[in-house]
Amino acid sequence: MNPMAQEALVARLARTLRENDSWTGETHIQKATYLLEVLADVPFDFDFILYKHGPFSFELRDELGNMQADRYLSREPQDPPYGPRFSVTESGRQLEERFAKTMARYGSKVDWIAAQLRDKGVASLERLATALWVTTHEGDGLGLEERVELLRGIKRHVSEENAAQAVREIDELLASAPS
Amino acid sequence: MTARVPGRSNEVRDPVHTFIDFNSLEREVIDSLPFQRLRHVHQLALSGQVYPGASHKRFEHSLGVMHLAGRIFDVVTKEEKLSDEVRDLVPKRGEAEFSYWKTVLRVAALCHDIGHLPFSHAGEEDLLPEDWDHERITLELIGSGPMAEVWNSVRPSPVPDDVIKLALGPKKVASLKLDLSFDDWEGVLAEIITSDALGADRIDYLLRDSLHTGVAYGRFDHNRLIQTMRILPRSPERDSEDGGDFGEPQLGIERGGLESAEALLLARYFMFAQVYYHPTRLIYDEHLKDFLRAWLPDGRFPVEPDGHLSYTDNEVWAAITKAAEDAGADGHDSARRIAHREHFRVVDERQIAEDVGERSIAVTAVFEALRERYGAESVRFGRSPKRGEAPDFPVMQRDGKVASSVSLSEVLRQLPVARDEYVFMPADLREDAKKWLKTERDNIVTAAAERVEKESDEEKEDGES
Repeated sequence: MNPMAQEALVARLARTLRENDSWTGETHIQKATYLLEVLADVPFDFDFILYKHGPFSFELRDELGNMQADRYLSREPQDPPYGPRFSVTESGRQLEERFAKTMARYGSKVDWIAAQLRDKGVASLERLATALWVTTHEGDGLGLEERVELLRGIKRHVSEENAAQAVREIDELLASAPS
Repeated sequence: MTARVPGRSNEVRDPVHTFIDFNSLEREVIDSLPFQRLRHVHQLALSGQVYPGASHKRFEHSLGVMHLAGRIFDVVTKEEKLSDEVRDLVPKRGEAEFSYWKTVLRVAALCHDIGHLPFSHAGEEDLLPEDWDHERITLELIGSGPMAEVWNSVRPSPVPDDVIKLALGPKKVASLKLDLSFDDWEGVLAEIITSDALGADRIDYLLRDSLHTGVAYGRFDHNRLIQTMRILPRSPERDSEDGGDFGEPQLGIERGGLESAEALLLARYFMFAQVYYHPTRLIYDEHLKDFLRAWLPDGRFPVEPDGHLSYTDNEVWAAITKAAEDAGADGHDSARRIAHREHFRVVDERQIAEDVGERSIAVTAVFEALRERYGAESVRFGRSPKRGEAPDFPVMQRDGKVASSVSLSEVLRQLPVARDEYVFMPADLREDAKKWLKTERDNIVTAAAERVEKESDEEKEDGES
């Protein structure tokens, strides 16, 4: 994807996450972008790896830094103990508007994922994204129980109940994702 | 070769850390050809042309990183530093697994730079085959003949993949698409070397580069910082239904080290501007790349281990010196500009407050316009990566709770994110170009911004149709 069009989509994602009551820290943007790329086929140029906190892209981390340098995003510090939140600047909103065709193509998908994730916290998002990773990388044809086992093999602190809920939720999202 | 058991019996003096000691295994690594080659690779490439004292090499830096990584390991694995949440993560002190991982960590720290090209980063992007960089060469070398002999000669023998993981860290392992995964413990160990915020690599290069350049901005109280390091649960990002689940562990600090961490991150910010991306250093990099493209066979450095090991700064400097005096030599013009200090000068640079948002393409637009007006040979472009944006790491407060460093530190909150960009031209064209830009720059940037946005948006539409 063209770098500026990609930045415009990331700006839209950050904005719509905030509008849907998401905390919109780095983890929220990371997981939402991963879900958007895999579930809704939005062709971001971000490679995701399975890292400590589930699927993660260092390229996206760099992009968030570049977008701050270009004043499209700002990082809002919070009172202790919480980590910072991202917000979209006026320049970021203008960037969205200038990429009207890109928004027409992918904007509704961005809005869809933001609405699905709403105010989920980081642990929920990590479970969900890891469930998607397991489903697409390891779980071809595997049932719920096998994927739950795989997920818990990767993230040992996740309870069986939470893992099962994450896998079920991913199956629902896969079924309802916009094409 | 007889297998040896590591013993601690060697030391060298060091201007940053006073003494650095190493055992017999580490000595085998240090004595290997790939590591000895680092004696001839400048840490700061051609920064010595700007800061005469910057003549130090990757060799002593790598020793320093090993020293610091070992110190950090010793601190964060102390029994009294381990909270209940992370105790099970750390192998038991005195057991074989504990000493194995300390050995791998120190060896990985030694090896983390062995893939560097002559003059370090200067030619990396343009002078290697596609998909190659110095970390990929490091990876190849760790598994290559000279290093394999080292691994086979000692007991316990480090597993090369373990060395690779800790030397490169997860970011590079991911970008190289290696089939290697990190468990929580390995992730923390890799952070000890490679962490943006607290890693031994960064601590050593800031202190060492500051010392040798004479730029005092790079100094900070690293001893205090290291003494306060801990393995901590990640700082929380929000108050939610996930409350209390602070995620997997990472390298952090106690509250008492926060000012030292602030000083480190300020040092990084200032050193980026003053030293690493000083505009004169950037243009020397461009002249060096121009020379190497002309001088190297096929315009590329070799990447196989034997070829890589045959090139150091020495061979390149000798060639520059010779070509500078021979008008018929490949790369003569670039060599002359380096050797005779006839480097291009800055004619335009990013305006921090103005060249943002839709005008963020300003300097590249000016670069293109100047190339069109004066010819491609007379115009060069240089940029830094973004700097600033303090990394967020966990801090254990005095009540034992973990908080985000950015939430606790006003200094880290205010650290600006910036990126520097420059256009350079020969001294004899500089004034004419600057005069022209005085009246034309705004028109050039406005027109380019409109064009880029239109093309970007349409390209996406066309590409998907």
